[in-house]
Amino acid sequence: MSEARFENVLRELHATAPPAPAELRERVRAMPEPQRRGFKLRPALAAAAAIAVAVGIGVAAIQAFTESPDRNREALNVELPGASRVPQQTRNLPANPSTRADNGASSLGKSLELTPLNPGSRLQEYDVSMSVRVDDLSRGTKSAIRTTRRLDGYVAAADYSTGGSTGDSRLDLRVPVQRVQTAIARFTELGTILSQRIAVADLQAGADSLDRRIAAARRIVEKFAGRMDLAPAERAQLESARRTIERLSRSRARLVRQGTYANISLMLTTRTPAAKQEAPGRFGRFWGDAGDILGKEAIIVLYALVVAGPFVLLAVLALLAERARRRRADSLLLKETA
Amino acid sequence: MAEEHLDDVYRYLLYVTGNPHLAEDLAAATFERALKRWRRFDPRRGSARTWLCQLARGTALDHFRAEQRRRRREDAYAVEVPDAEEPIFGEGLSPALDAAVSSLSAAEREVVVLRVVLELDGETTASVLGIRPTAVSTRLSRALQKLEERMVSDVRG
Repeated sequence: MSEARFENVLRELHATAPPAPAELRERVRAMPEPQRRGFKLRPALAAAAAIAVAVGIGVAAIQAFTESPDRNREALNVELPGASRVPQQTRNLPANPSTRADNGASSLGKSLELTPLNPGSRLQEYDVSMSVRVDDLSRGTKSAIRTTRRLDGYVAAADYSTGGSTGDSRLDLRVPVQRVQTAIARFTELGTILSQRIAVADLQAGADSLDRRIAAARRIVEKFAGRMDLAPAERAQLESARRTIERLSRSRARLVRQGTYANISLMLTTRTPAAKQEAPGRFGRFWGDAGDILGKEAIIVLYALVVAGPFVLLAVLALLAERARRRRADSLLLKETA
Repeated sequence: MAEEHLDDVYRYLLYVTGNPHLAEDLAAATFERALKRWRRFDPRRGSARTWLCQLARGTALDHFRAEQRRRRREDAYAVEVPDAEEPIFGEGLSPALDAAVSSLSAAEREVVVLRVVLELDGETTASVLGIRPTAVSTRLSRALQKLEERMVSDVRG
């Protein structure tokens, strides 16, 4: 058969292809209109993902805006290691000197304002703790000791240790309370203040009480002193008053010593402090919580995929195998069908 | 949409079954199935004509499977032979060509109707048949060669 004739055959096949019978057309016309698509898998998956994200963000928002701001401080305390933790600076000492002022005080940098100390006429105990970062540990330590001695103080204990490029020096110093402010100022100039804590305890009330009790005892001694005709009870009272004066005087002397020298615990270090971590605000916590919740959701999805993955894979493989088998069977069926 | 593609579906089923009455019934069944599955139709995956041809193929295969089961069960298969005087595959088609097309298998007629009568391209035909485009070309080539042989033998005879 020639090419032209074969082309004619194909054209004839195409041209003479019969239209659908009128009866079939009527049957199809009588069929109801199809309904629009309802459930769609992809939009449903997208909606599920959007809901999961919305839930995460919503829960995070509720947590962020309903929880107490104290959480900031708790988080800060937990997150900051002790070495880098910076206590709050004490600006003013309490007005009532009878209570122990144990306020943390610190600041970073040389711009620190010195805590106003008032070592006046009242007997007060000063307990100062300072941490200063220095460039040269040896020179800083020597300078601190020299400063202490110039201020008529002394070194109670010293611990100097270096290792490699870093090192620490711990000095337990005693400085007259009248010069404690000068001492703090000098130590501040050694380097950068990392932390500072000043505790002041008023000893005056205790000293006044001791003075009153000593005076009372002295009056008894004066009353019976020089008398030879003392009754045994009076003699015992006199002896007791003398012992009381002796005991209370020792206590008072100890109290005065406490109020004479300030305890300064100075730590010099060459270590660089860890970066200060800012406590996140509401929005910071909001985003942090949202991230946590979304992360947990992702972990759950991942876990489900890991657990269900092999089964899903087997099901897909079985489905593909069944489709291939069915396709071969269909092909064979059509080949066999006349 | 149904009316627009009704002729194509009918022609396809006519070629696959070789029986106008059966093709008519299967075409109606195909559109009933299309109405039920209308929600599954995704225009991005192919045209409505392609989708309807796929449904028609599934309907025809279901029929053939049912016939095969019935044949096995009854152990006797009476083929419904249409009126021999009327051409099956088209009004005005030469009896020789009609006989030649009839002699082809359903699989061969299927590829002929899709590529020649409905003028689907190779990709779309492959999509309907669930095979690769190269397999479509091979199958069409063999079908046309067979058709040619039958026509030549008919002319000589």
